[in-house]
Amino acid sequence: MSEYVTLTINGAKVRAPRGTSVLDAALDYGICIPHLCHMQGVIPTGVCRLCIVEVIEKGRSKVTTSCTLEAEEGMVILAHTDKILKARKNIAEMLVAEAPNSRAIQDIALKCGVKDVRYPFRNKDCVLCGRCVRACTEIWRSRSLGFVGRGEQRHVALPFDERPEFCKRCNACIDLCPMTITPCDGPMKKGEEYFCGKCESQLSMSEDFVDSCVWCRLGEGFDVTGRHAGRKQEDKR
Amino acid sequence: MTTADAKRVDTILKGREGASGELIEALQDIQDAFKYLPEEALRSVSEKMAVPLIEVFRVANYYKAFTLQPRGRHLLTVCMGTACHVRGAPRFLDEVLGQLDIKPGETTEDGDFTVETVNCLGACALGPVVVLDGKYHDHMTAGKLRALIQGTLSKKAKKTGDR
Repeated sequence: MSEYVTLTINGAKVRAPRGTSVLDAALDYGICIPHLCHMQGVIPTGVCRLCIVEVIEKGRSKVTTSCTLEAEEGMVILAHTDKILKARKNIAEMLVAEAPNSRAIQDIALKCGVKDVRYPFRNKDCVLCGRCVRACTEIWRSRSLGFVGRGEQRHVALPFDERPEFCKRCNACIDLCPMTITPCDGPMKKGEEYFCGKCESQLSMSEDFVDSCVWCRLGEGFDVTGRHAGRKQEDKR
Repeated sequence: MTTADAKRVDTILKGREGASGELIEALQDIQDAFKYLPEEALRSVSEKMAVPLIEVFRVANYYKAFTLQPRGRHLLTVCMGTACHVRGAPRFLDEVLGQLDIKPGETTEDGDFTVETVNCLGACALGPVVVLDGKYHDHMTAGKLRALIQGTLSKKAKKTGDR
């Protein structure tokens, strides 16, 4: 049993250590698959659905999230077919409608080709990506916050709405949240949400740099260290 | 929470130290004892059973059998399933809510009644069904329900009168 597997992503031969997810393998090779809930070193859950890809198996294609898909020998992945782009655009649109107050989500949506949002804005300020919960649970092993409620009522909460004593105050939950970056005009008013997509955000830049994801160089996701602004500036120069 | 209450919680948790798999059983026992889950009880559950507090909180919030707010002395459950619905359950639910001046899931100010709605009790042939403190009352009408509530209240008045 070899330690490495070889698979094909968008026609390119990609070699990845056994056990890597298809998304990680693609990102390693500079193939950008948009993603939101994915974080390096944290168990993938596949909740944002942005990283969907087509897997060709025995001549049949199957759509699945690439972050939860383990790379296997001889796998054939198509990440940017018309079918995928259409579905991904729709997903991004719904994410914006859910939380229009996030610049990061708007940027990713623009990257996915969203020009206009057809869904009513819900303005929830949370898309339940679970980045904060998983960072708290898995990276910091603190378990200070988690998902509470079910169905429509599901939300991220602290037990009894107060910060537990054992919270390490690492602020990872805030740093990793896609909502921390508000659109350039500041927080939107209720009922006046809009899809910006025109301002000189990095997104507009991303059209020039086709292969770079928005908040990421080669789609590394949001800055894990939380110093988004600093690195962003450097990248521009 | 009084010391007596704390002792009750301790008795429930006895023998369950560190047994995180028995979380739901422990919560059920506390719910039975107190008719709701007091915050302090959940905190000691978390501590004694070695379950993160958020996990206890999440489970307590997830299941409808658990409630974090104290319930009234009498629990009135109104079935809003399809069969009961077409036979007029919403109408007499409005009636009872107006009478008690509360919303579904709330408790009256004097702590006598908690009214809850449920999506189906599986007793459609008896519909519309109302459950008062575990006892099923079939073929409910607004009048019958009013009599039922008044009856419960007068029973209580009698008891206090006896004292």
